[in-house]
Amino acid sequence: MTPTLIGRWQTRIFLLSTVGVLASLPFYFGLTGHGGSFTYFWVLLYVGLFGCGWDVIYNYLMGYMWDHDWPGVLQLLAGIWEGLFLGTVLMVIGLPYIPTQDFYLVDFILHYGFVWVGIYLSSWVVMRILFPRWRFRGGEWLGKWPHSPS
Amino acid sequence: MHIQLSWEDPITEEQQEPIFPLPLAFGRDLSQLPSRWQGQEVSRAVFTSREVSRYHALIYCSENGQVIYEDRSANGSRINGKKIRQARQVLTGGEVVQFGPYNVTVSLVASADEDPDATLLTRAHRGTPTLLLEPPTDLIRPDTRTPIDIPPPSTVVFAPEQIVDSRAAGEFPPPQLFQAEHISLAALRATGLPVEESEYLALGGGIGSFVWVDTLRIHGVKPEQIRVISIAQKPYERYERLLNNCQIPRWKRIRSGSDSCPDNIWGWPGYALREAWRSFFSGRVLEALGFLWQVFSEPLLADTYTPRAGDVFTAMDREAARIGWEQMLCYGNIRAIRKTEDGRYVVAYSATRAGHTDHRFRVAKYVHLATGYPAIKLLKDLQEFREQTGDLKSVVHGYEPHSHVYEHLEKHGGTVLIRGFGIVASQVMERIYEARKVNPRISVVHLSRSPKSGNRFGRAKRAVENHWEFQPYNWPKATWGGDLRAMLEAATPLERRELLELWGGTTTASRRKWRRAVQEGLQQGWYSILFGKVEKVELDNKGKPVTYIQGTHNNTQVKVEADFVIDCTGLVSDPMTNPLLNDLISHYHLPLNPHGRLHVSNDFELVEMRNREGRMYAAGIITLGGPYAPVDTFLGLQYCAHRSVEHLVRVRAPGTKTLEGIGSLWQWCKWALNLKP
Repeated sequence: MTPTLIGRWQTRIFLLSTVGVLASLPFYFGLTGHGGSFTYFWVLLYVGLFGCGWDVIYNYLMGYMWDHDWPGVLQLLAGIWEGLFLGTVLMVIGLPYIPTQDFYLVDFILHYGFVWVGIYLSSWVVMRILFPRWRFRGGEWLGKWPHSPS
Repeated sequence: MHIQLSWEDPITEEQQEPIFPLPLAFGRDLSQLPSRWQGQEVSRAVFTSREVSRYHALIYCSENGQVIYEDRSANGSRINGKKIRQARQVLTGGEVVQFGPYNVTVSLVASADEDPDATLLTRAHRGTPTLLLEPPTDLIRPDTRTPIDIPPPSTVVFAPEQIVDSRAAGEFPPPQLFQAEHISLAALRATGLPVEESEYLALGGGIGSFVWVDTLRIHGVKPEQIRVISIAQKPYERYERLLNNCQIPRWKRIRSGSDSCPDNIWGWPGYALREAWRSFFSGRVLEALGFLWQVFSEPLLADTYTPRAGDVFTAMDREAARIGWEQMLCYGNIRAIRKTEDGRYVVAYSATRAGHTDHRFRVAKYVHLATGYPAIKLLKDLQEFREQTGDLKSVVHGYEPHSHVYEHLEKHGGTVLIRGFGIVASQVMERIYEARKVNPRISVVHLSRSPKSGNRFGRAKRAVENHWEFQPYNWPKATWGGDLRAMLEAATPLERRELLELWGGTTTASRRKWRRAVQEGLQQGWYSILFGKVEKVELDNKGKPVTYIQGTHNNTQVKVEADFVIDCTGLVSDPMTNPLLNDLISHYHLPLNPHGRLHVSNDFELVEMRNREGRMYAAGIITLGGPYAPVDTFLGLQYCAHRSVEHLVRVRAPGTKTLEGIGSLWQWCKWALNLKP
């Protein structure tokens, strides 16, 4: 993928709020782990909030690569890093609406991993099929091409 | 004393070789360059990159007859790799001077030896006391355009099928009628020739037209509304012929990405996934995983995945059948394009086959022009060699049939001189590597004008190994759809030129196999790289081509005798070399971009060709240097098609519908099930 910063943000928000929410439903209804809880949706929100910040850094790092490319393997590394960071913060400090005593590491890993795989696969498939212009606009699915001056 | 500067245009890959009388001043800003120095007229040359100072350097002849390079820049220059800044150095000829992104070879020419045909630029300005080389930085408007010379015909036959039915036919299209700006339908009908009509018309039946028609069909247009004029039966016909000539048969891999699918506008599933699927169900699980690993980790941890030519063609055949390509195809040679009085366009074409003259007109409201590369050209000295000797066997172009070279080498051994470091050179090297397994008495001399250090852009640098520059595709990947694409589209014509110069240049793909062949060749001594500028190529008394090279140090001369010389430089993209485009550009005074290619809007429209509701678009290499860099690639052509069709949807062209969301998913399902769109 060769995303732009705006494209990264748009794709992240779109996929978290669609595929991410769908993938969180089984956890919300308590099909796994320590019973259902709305906390999973707060986790999604934090993945999105922190992620938009991380995206700025990824976008900067991408400039070191001649092709300004962001291959799957870097997406995976970024996903692992974000998970580690958020997991540590939740475990050690806690975040509003997710107090440390309600945090279960195994549940977090399961939920985060499931959401991440869903989003990763969708970014290759769903976005392309729903929005033919997505791949030409560096991941921006909102909006149309600007009118060209003539 | 005169000085000749030679370099390769990083965008069009054309050789530039202007000659200037000394003193010569160059820099980024013409107004900062002196027009007189010590009572002498100064020649001035402008190089547009921001890394070049406004007044970068002065080259002059000192009192004792030495030629002095005086650097006056902020960033300095490099002469044969050694940096100088705000200092002077003697030039003896042959040096490579580096400033900004340019690598320029300097040759000193005594005034009497000046080659009168050295370059178009100096010829255009002959007679003026101050020679001025100023690359155009804005659109070239017809009224300011210097007369464009039509390059002499090449000895390389590019499109053999076109020669039979040449423009010499004379009376078609009727010259009187086609002199007009706008032609009336009544006048067309009065000729008595057939006048056909359709809503959409694609000119040229190559991959550019194919993906445009495919995109139109998927956006809702019916096959009855579309026609394609072409001499080719298959959209990949010419492409496949060129691949065969440069030693890529169907089972070999081409330099293209997994999701650059001319048969699928969504790019999913890509060729890697399809190939992995096939391998998996043929029991080759490891191979299947290998392809997936490649697309997952390229180019960091694995070589970039590239599809087999044959798989791409098979997929295109399936899509052609699905969209009804043959039903839309009209056999014909396109002769001229004009606007009509009723807000459409008329195309005069000849469907003449052996023994039967058949001239026709076709009128359409929306026209798409994708005629592809106009020609193949040999390097100037090689072209001269061929003209002088009539020998078309020992000096060949990588894109023309030249299997005899490898057959001869396998039988008798010998030396090959390769010119150019692009993808064709890699393919030729691979073929020679194979030939060496049959006959190890084959050696290769690879000629480079200057050592390569790798382009830089922002925080990144392009990889170089043994003077081969690597990049997965012919432009940095983000120019297809990433931040570099957005940056280029937003830029002014001048900024576009600067960006393209930084991203351009000859590169090849980094494939482990190729890099190993080069490495082995260097170690075992059968492959060597030579630096210098070719002065001439002549036939020696043994009947072999000898290349005389001016070395980079102290005006030394090197002589290379080879059995074969293979020119692996690019194809010609100048639209003026194509009679059809030449006629269109001259007739309607169409503006050209700073690279002399067709100027298109960001939607790939030829805005000056607008005719009331009628719209005309262009795609492919004829638009190089415009809003998009990789115009001559599968995905680039799909991008052109995507932009022009989205534009058609916006102007509510008949039959077109927005393609997005569920509608797009529905169309994709039809693609997957092989149903008509």
